[in-house]
Amino acid sequence: MRALVLNGAKSGDDDLRAAEAALERELAAAGWEVGAVLLHRIMLAWCTGCFECWTKTPGECKTKDSAGDIARAMMASDLTVFLTPVTFGGYSSPLKKALDRLICLVSPFFQRIDGEVHHRKRYDRYPSLLGVGVLDEPDGEEERIFSTLVERNAINVHAPDHASLVLYHGTGRETAETLLRPFVERFTVRESA
Amino acid sequence: MSLERATLFVGSARPTGESTSETLGRYLVDRLEGAGAKASIHRASHARKGTAERELMASLDDSDLFVLSTPLYVDSLPYLVTDALERIVARREFRGPDRPTGLLAIVNCGFPEADHTATAIDICRAFARRAGYAWRGGLGLGGGELIAGRPLDEVGWPARHAREALDLAAKALFEGRRVPERAIELMARPMIPHRLYTLVGDMRWRRTARRHGVGRRLDHRPYESPLEG
Repeated sequence: MRALVLNGAKSGDDDLRAAEAALERELAAAGWEVGAVLLHRIMLAWCTGCFECWTKTPGECKTKDSAGDIARAMMASDLTVFLTPVTFGGYSSPLKKALDRLICLVSPFFQRIDGEVHHRKRYDRYPSLLGVGVLDEPDGEEERIFSTLVERNAINVHAPDHASLVLYHGTGRETAETLLRPFVERFTVRESA
Repeated sequence: MSLERATLFVGSARPTGESTSETLGRYLVDRLEGAGAKASIHRASHARKGTAERELMASLDDSDLFVLSTPLYVDSLPYLVTDALERIVARREFRGPDRPTGLLAIVNCGFPEADHTATAIDICRAFARRAGYAWRGGLGLGGGELIAGRPLDEVGWPARHAREALDLAAKALFEGRRVPERAIELMARPMIPHRLYTLVGDMRWRRTARRHGVGRRLDHRPYESPLEG
């Protein structure tokens, strides 16, 4: 079982440290091989919306930087974790920069899923998705948006299972581990089945 | 009190004049200018450069209305827009808003259903709350690839609902009101039937790939895991 943690912490932002440490500890304790990428530290161009990853270099972006390594690591994983400061209910800019570059992982062609149009799978299997957001303090609206966003992403990236939770700034590592444990167990059971 | 000045921020990374986001934003802003307001246009792809960022921030400080017109990327706002909004909110938290300003979000997507834009519009509303903007509403458009940078009048019949929606929105915004529900509903109407859109879309991907000499490789899997068959 392999897990990939995409860490969307912003430069100079230590708020995610406890959450990241707790996540990696819980995953490792459950037998996961964990890879983590601190996104603001790597060179990534932004998506220009050219769609050439669909029509000119199918399945990969023409820009050769770390996005290809992230795409490869994601497709080799059984679980991808989006770890991010909750930003207006969504993801931080470093995480969003990486995710925008991953549309090459699906096909340009359309299909209907539950009556709604989405892009078809490019691959036979995709990793499950866990969204872990960190907020300064409880915020019902932003937490609802975050949960919906992870759910919508899971449909569009064909994740076989997904879940999300929000932690608050100042949550200690032990509390974070306790909160994360059921989520890790859920994906562990799924992969062990 | 009528609107005096608006700032249009185009969230697309595509070149000037080639994005649906710019088409929709410009159409709205043209109507605001026609009613007597002043407007300036800023682009997300330039806004990370020092001078352009300063110009954007100065324009926002001086505006009654912030119009964000953006494509949908992976169910939410593109990186360039997220980055800009983070910097805008940080600046406003530091110095506070200079004047009461409204925010209108226009989000277009390449899926035929406008519903895909709902989460991105929610994100814009949450941004408005954090940054102290008065929420003027969100207009979501599906089938955005039918416009692809052309002026709405050139798009013709399929864009009739979008034009009417933006006309209604401009009138309300000029008068300092939220966009009416009727405008939101009109904007969300399909430009052409969904089935026709997906058929045309799929044909377009194949045609473009053939032009690039990769018509038979559209399903290529460069990152296939060794675990897969």
